[in-house]
Amino acid sequence: MSMAAHPPATPASGSWFGSSALRMGWCWVSLLALCSFLPRGLSSPAPAKVQDLWSLKPVVRPAIPGGAFQRANPMDSFLAATQSARGLSVLGPADKLTWLRRVHLDLVGLAPSIEEQDRYLADASPSAEDTVVERLLASEQHGVRYGRHWLDVLRYADLDEHMPSESGIHLWRDWVFGALNQDLPYDQFVRAQVCGNRASKRQVISAAGHLTKVEPRPEDLFAEGFLARGAITRANADHGLAFAAVETVSLAFMGMTVSCAKCHDHFFDPISQRDFYAMKALFDPLVLRPVDLATPEQVFAQGRKVREYEDTLKPVAEAMRRFIEPFHSRLYEERLRDMLPEVQAAIRKPETKRSAAEQKIYEDYYPILRIDPPKIKALMKAEEVKIYDDFLRKIDSLKAPESLPRFWGVVEDSKRSADTNYVLVTGDPTRPKRTQPVSPGFPFGPTGLEFRSGRRETFVDWLTSPENPLFARVAVNRIWAWHFGFPLHASLSDFGSLGGQPLHPQLLDWLASEFIAQRYSMKWLHRLIVTSDTYRRASVGDAATANRNASVDPDNRLLWRFPLRRLEAEAIQDSLLMAAGNLDLSLGGPAVGALKEGETSLRRAAYLARGYRSSMAAMPDALETFDAEDGRAVCSRRTETVTATQALYLMNNERIETVSGSLARRLESACPQDPAAAVRLGYRMLLGRLPDPAELQMALELVSKESGRLKGFAWTLLNLDEFIYVR
Amino acid sequence: MCADLNHNAPADLRIRPGTRRSFLHHMGAGFTGAAVGALLFEEGKAREITGAPHLAAKARAVIYLFMCGGVSHIDTFDPKDNRLAGTLIDAVGFGDNLAEMKRPVIPSRRTFTRYGRSGTPVSDWFPHLGGVIDEIALIRSMWCHETNHFPAVIETATGHRNRIVEHPSFGSWISYALGTENRNLPSFVHMGKASSPLQLSGGYLGATYAATPFQLGEIPIRNLRPPPGTRAGERDDRMKVLEQLNRRFREDYDVESAMAARLKSYELAARMQLHAPEACNFSAEPESVRRLYGIGQKETEEFGKQLLLARRLVERGVRFIQICHAGGGNGAWDSHGDMENHGPLCRQVDQPIAGLIRDLRQRGMLDETLVVWTSEFGRTPWSQNTTGRDHNPRGYSSWMAGGGVRGGVVHGSTDEFGYRTVENPVYVSDLQATILRQMGLDHRRMEVDINGRPVRLVEDGAGPVLGILS
Repeated sequence: MSMAAHPPATPASGSWFGSSALRMGWCWVSLLALCSFLPRGLSSPAPAKVQDLWSLKPVVRPAIPGGAFQRANPMDSFLAATQSARGLSVLGPADKLTWLRRVHLDLVGLAPSIEEQDRYLADASPSAEDTVVERLLASEQHGVRYGRHWLDVLRYADLDEHMPSESGIHLWRDWVFGALNQDLPYDQFVRAQVCGNRASKRQVISAAGHLTKVEPRPEDLFAEGFLARGAITRANADHGLAFAAVETVSLAFMGMTVSCAKCHDHFFDPISQRDFYAMKALFDPLVLRPVDLATPEQVFAQGRKVREYEDTLKPVAEAMRRFIEPFHSRLYEERLRDMLPEVQAAIRKPETKRSAAEQKIYEDYYPILRIDPPKIKALMKAEEVKIYDDFLRKIDSLKAPESLPRFWGVVEDSKRSADTNYVLVTGDPTRPKRTQPVSPGFPFGPTGLEFRSGRRETFVDWLTSPENPLFARVAVNRIWAWHFGFPLHASLSDFGSLGGQPLHPQLLDWLASEFIAQRYSMKWLHRLIVTSDTYRRASVGDAATANRNASVDPDNRLLWRFPLRRLEAEAIQDSLLMAAGNLDLSLGGPAVGALKEGETSLRRAAYLARGYRSSMAAMPDALETFDAEDGRAVCSRRTETVTATQALYLMNNERIETVSGSLARRLESACPQDPAAAVRLGYRMLLGRLPDPAELQMALELVSKESGRLKGFAWTLLNLDEFIYVR
Repeated sequence: MCADLNHNAPADLRIRPGTRRSFLHHMGAGFTGAAVGALLFEEGKAREITGAPHLAAKARAVIYLFMCGGVSHIDTFDPKDNRLAGTLIDAVGFGDNLAEMKRPVIPSRRTFTRYGRSGTPVSDWFPHLGGVIDEIALIRSMWCHETNHFPAVIETATGHRNRIVEHPSFGSWISYALGTENRNLPSFVHMGKASSPLQLSGGYLGATYAATPFQLGEIPIRNLRPPPGTRAGERDDRMKVLEQLNRRFREDYDVESAMAARLKSYELAARMQLHAPEACNFSAEPESVRRLYGIGQKETEEFGKQLLLARRLVERGVRFIQICHAGGGNGAWDSHGDMENHGPLCRQVDQPIAGLIRDLRQRGMLDETLVVWTSEFGRTPWSQNTTGRDHNPRGYSSWMAGGGVRGGVVHGSTDEFGYRTVENPVYVSDLQATILRQMGLDHRRMEVDINGRPVRLVEDGAGPVLGILS
């Protein structure tokens, strides 16, 4: 990637990326993203072979360890066997309230209420935990919590530098939340996003040979937001949609870095450049399609509004046009006169008479010919400027009616479907290698497919089939990591040779095979994990055990204790509003935009705007400060920082001040004149436990000192480590 | 920020097999350890990254002045012969539109004076800078790839053109590699309105290394002060109780690096509360010093104060101070319509920058403080049929002063029109390599592992501009 030795020639004379790529504004960035990681000094590495890569070997369901390792939950058995082999002794179970707070924050992202704590403590039946888990999995807030995890992987954003699908994109987010709440099987979850609701309208042949028409789920229309989000331009001449689709689909659902093969065969994995372009051909026919969401009444009403607007605008605009015409044509002529004769000739021709080359000249020179109001004003006398300004003000005051609600889906364009697809030089759509046409396909799959039921459909049939060794493994590994903080296979989106070996291959494969057997039910997997002994374990125990274990497994990769975890940015914000007692738990709707100072939103943080703009901060501070993701890249695990900025936020931010006040008032009104009861209540509300006597004593001293009484205590609770950590 | 990109970095940063284990033992493993690092290892990572300090450091601190929008080199530091005005030259224009066309060169309306012993010409827009020209190493052969503002700003800030992976800004690398000299203040400080939030970003290094924005006035850092109405002593009481109430939890989890980091983060926050306002309080600065920076005059007041604060931060051990001038949107230096728009902007920065250099010199700080002045690109010799100029990444001027840089030299040149770099081209990365070198760091050894693949801070290029170093 050496490029800095010489200044660039003009792009046309062959800079390192070629003129057309630049002229088209083609998005070369994702290419660089991957290629800048190539190790130096490796000229022709030999990629791993398919048969050598563990992740491409079939999922074989391992036997569950029995005997001494017999446990009610098989995942405990697998871990017990390994822990025992490594000489680890596990910690005992956490106390009831610790488990309750843990499972609440994990499954719904919200701490348990006092009532929920009381109910669970009062439930002495052996099924008390199951009751809690079932209640949480049935809660609509579960979809918000785990949906937000998935959105990191799926690259959800409300806004981006170039994102023509911005309008209505939240409907895809709401679809994801809804799909998780309905426990839409994972294979259908993926199928819907890759194919939209078009896929399910096709006919399939049953094992008995019957042609069956599969009925679509109407809302799967909104799953198309997944593909539409990747488009960079509306016309898609840059192939942005297809490039994004290959990258996201392969990383998110296959755990393979297929995009490395954009410019060359993959250096480490058995993925050729042809594989990349074959996979891209699956998505090449796609373009954005607008989906109007208005009712007929709204459409008629809009028609009236638009006509009214135009009728009012027209006379004003016409009068202004007549007024500025002399100035305008004077400037236009002056500018034109400066130009080369052949350029002038081309521009002076009416558009219909211009050749393609002449039209190109016209478009290239358009920035010069465009005449903005300031330039016109520069020619005017003061009183003329005043008249002009009046016109501009009048036009400005006539507001065009707001456009009707619209969502952007994807559709296969018939012309694009008929086009031959080629390998592209460095991924540049204007530089196809004509000698290397490609047919639709994908790496690791069977050859000789005919794609009769559609390109994406045939691909998804393979992708989601139980025989695909990657599909279930990648999914269960992600879900595992969301529960425990780290995965069974360390690199969640790279199951290739650079990703290394999984930590616990048998457990991974047992989970994958059982996930398939359970018809890809994500709720089944959540239930399995959170009702396990492993999940129940204490996070802290006696020092002797901890020290012994630390010499073998200091990072607790084999889960001999429950890992201490910090809450994500969203959960911290939601917890603050919960503490204030005014968290808005309503579901769905457009994102709450970047808030101005002093403004607050009471929605769950999953509904706060996220995305990226190079020119401005696109996400609220509160999310940025605690490492929220902006949706530009597939993210399986967030970075977790600890900074002084976070400390300052929690100490001094206005929201903390407001929440401290509200929390203090809540405690005061629940326990008037009884500071000890108020302290106990505060501990239970925020930390899900009672204070020990020493804590109570210290808190009471603070309360007695403070003029604002409970407010200082409330502030202290919000700043406790324990408030933003789960143990 | 996503840990996909950095779950191996920087905790795994070039750690040799023998040291990795003990490193993890201290740091806690995995990606949280990375972020925690800056707080635990205040001395910085250079030693761990590469077994450095790589080189003898000439400079202790960098004051990085970024003019948002693109300064015309032709009207400031790189005079051209106006007799060539009207010549049609091959051009690639405008902004995003990379059409090839012939454009006529427009004249510069500036007059140039040769200043100092070096006799380097500087335009009448920068008379004060002319007065310190013998401290300045002028580079007239800068270039970058990007032709529009945000991409070029990002290229200049990160040394990479790529925007999908969030590369760390240059200041965050310095702070990452060298840590902080001052336990009371952040090591990477930003002032002024930036062109892009990426100029402040820690990128894949994480938020720990991101710039802390400072603002002029009583509260220099966001969230620095308790809300109005907080009674004196109240916060102290709360902090004491907070520490006690945290104690058991922190003892329970003392094996977790995050716990130690939480403690440190509150300590640093508390020290910042105490020390940042002091750094920003100019009451002890004599009138003569304020005048030097142009404080007290309307046009130079704001930038002058920012530069004076920069000097005070350098005195207090801040490593990298980035000041953006006229940022927001495309940046006010973006003079397409009329070059005269540059006039007031030049006046806003001319005296303060010259004042800063003089002040650093008279305090004996200039030799250890590297002052860098640049923009995302220069401006073209032709116009878009206006009296202004278009973006020009193909040739422009930047300069450095102090920090072991030779004063009074001119490095490289552009062609007769000021369009393309012709002699001794200096790419953005080369400028960064030069800064790194003066800070005692070898740019070729500044890399992190991302999924086993080394990623360098700066692109391979010509390397440090040795010609301007003493």
